[in-house]
Amino acid sequence: MRTLVERHGTALAGLALIGFFVAFAPNFASPGNLLNIAKDTSFLAILALGFALALTIAELDLSIAEVASLAAVAAGWFIQAGYDPAIAVLAALAVGAGLGAFNGFGVTVLKVPSLIVTLGTAAIAKGLAFMITQGVAFVGRWPTGFTGLARGTTLGLPNLIWFLLAATGISYVLLKWTRTGAHMAATGEADEAARLAGIATMRMKRLGLLLAGVFASITAVLLAASLSSAAPNMAGDYFLYAIAAVLLGMTMFEPGKPNVAGTVFAALVLKVLGNGLVLMGAAYYVQDIVLGIIIIGSVAFSASVVRKAAFKV
Amino acid sequence: MTDKAASEPIFAMRSIGKNYGAVQALSGIDLDVHAGEVLAICGDNGAGKSTLIKIMSGAEAPTAGTIRLRGREVHFRSPHDALEQGVATIYQELALAPRLSIAANVFMGAELTRPLVLPFLRVLDKARMADEARGYLRRLSVQIEDMTRPVERLSGGQRQAVAISRALRWNAEVIIMDEPTAALGVKETAQVLDLVRHLKAEGRTVLLISHNMRDVVALASRVVILRSGRKLHDLPIGDLSPDDLSHLIMSAPALAA
Repeated sequence: MRTLVERHGTALAGLALIGFFVAFAPNFASPGNLLNIAKDTSFLAILALGFALALTIAELDLSIAEVASLAAVAAGWFIQAGYDPAIAVLAALAVGAGLGAFNGFGVTVLKVPSLIVTLGTAAIAKGLAFMITQGVAFVGRWPTGFTGLARGTTLGLPNLIWFLLAATGISYVLLKWTRTGAHMAATGEADEAARLAGIATMRMKRLGLLLAGVFASITAVLLAASLSSAAPNMAGDYFLYAIAAVLLGMTMFEPGKPNVAGTVFAALVLKVLGNGLVLMGAAYYVQDIVLGIIIIGSVAFSASVVRKAAFKV
Repeated sequence: MTDKAASEPIFAMRSIGKNYGAVQALSGIDLDVHAGEVLAICGDNGAGKSTLIKIMSGAEAPTAGTIRLRGREVHFRSPHDALEQGVATIYQELALAPRLSIAANVFMGAELTRPLVLPFLRVLDKARMADEARGYLRRLSVQIEDMTRPVERLSGGQRQAVAISRALRWNAEVIIMDEPTAALGVKETAQVLDLVRHLKAEGRTVLLISHNMRDVVALASRVVILRSGRKLHDLPIGDLSPDDLSHLIMSAPALAA
C-alpha cells in the first residue's frame, strides 16, 4: 500500500481530480467537453513529450514554445503564399528540426549549457516569427488539406487523438525498447559512465534536442491546422503547461525520471484541471497559480534529473 | 600458468612516457603483465598511477613508448577501443549509472537486441540481458534475482560486482581496477577481494591499483611501485608484509635503487 501511494500517489490524485470534476463541475462530463479536453491534451502532450525526450538526456529545452510558434508561422506563410499543404508541413518540420539541431550544436559543440542555449534560441525564434508575420497573425482561408490534419477524423477517432497516440507510442518504444533509447537514458543518468562504456553521448544529446524541436513543430502544425491561423506567440500558453506536464509526470510511474506515460497522463490531468476550474467558475488567473504550485511541488517531490540539468551551468 | 604465458606477456609497455606540457608525469616505464596474474600498482599520490591507468585504459595516449597487447602493437583511441580489444577498466567513481537497473548497467553501451517481426527491426532483448547479467553476478558468487533493481540500492560490494560484470560481458582478459575498495567498509572490502579472486580463478588478468597494502598483499602476486613518474620496484610479493610495502613506497629512491 505504501509503495502504491509512493509510486502512484500523484496519478491517483489525478484520477481523483477527474472524478471530482465529473461529479461537481457542470457539463464537465458532456461528450463535447470531454472531446475538447482530449484534443487540447494532444497539443500539450506532444509538446511535452519533446521536452521529456530532451530531459531524458539531461538537457532543458526552454525554446519549445517559441520554436513551435515559429514553425506554425512558417507553415502559415507557405499556406498564405498558396503552396501545397504538404510543403507547409515540411517547412514547419524543417524549422523544428533546424532549431532543435542548433540547440544540440550549442550544447555539444559550443559547450554552452542547454538552459542558456535554448533561451537564446527561444529569443531568436520569437524575433524571426515577428519578422515573418510583421506582428500580425496569418488568418484567412486555409485549405482543408491542411486544417484536416487537426480537424478531421479517421476510423471514427479525431486525427488529433491519432497524432497523440502515435507520438506517445513512438516515444515509448524509442525510450524503452531500442538501443538508442537505452543510450539516451544512460547519457542522461551518468554521461561520463556512458561515455566510458562507449556510448556516443554527444550524439545522444544532439538527438534529444533535435527530437524536442521536431515534436514542437508537430505541435505547431496541429495547432495551426486546428485554429486556421498562425501567430508569432501562438504556442506561448503551452510552455508552462508542457513543463508542468513533464515534471508532474516525473512523480508518476517511474518516479524521478522523465517518462512517457507520466507525461501524457499529467498533460491530461492538467488540462482537466484547467477545464474543470473554468467550468466551476474559477477566475482565469487561478490556473496559472495552480500551475506554478504544481511545477515547484513536482520538482520538490522528485526530479533530481531536473536539478542536474538546470544546475550544471 | 604455462611457461609460454609466463614468458610472453599479455600486456607489455616499453619506455612509456607522458608529459602534460612541461610536466613529466611518466617516463621510461617498462611493464610486463602476464596472463592470469594479479599485478598491483602502488605509489604515493602523484607517483603516476592515475596517468598509467589512463594510458592502459585508452583514456589518454602516451607521448612516448609502445604498448603491445598479446604481442601486437596497439594504439587505444578511447576506453571503448580498449574495451573492444579486451582491456576493461573499472573506475572507482564513474563506472555506474546509479538510478539505472543492474541489467542496464551491465550491458551499458552494448545492449542485446532481438528482431521484432522483421529481421531489421531490432528491439532490446530485456529477458536475455537480465538472464545473462544474473549469470555474470552468479559467476562472481553474488546472488541477486531482480535485475531491474536500480544500482543505487545495492551495497558497495554488489556495485563493484555489477561493474565487474560489465567487464565480463565484454569478455575482457585484462581488467584494471582503480582503488576498488576505497570508500568501502570492512565486510564489503572482503566481498570485493573475493570478486578479484573469482576473476583470478577464471584466468583473467587483473591490474590492481590500490592504496590499501593489506589488499595488495592478500591478492597480488607481484607489485610495481611508482614514484615521480618512474618505476621504482617491480618485485614478487612473496613474503612481503603490508608494512614492508609501505616502507618501499616511502623509502628514499637512492636506497631503493
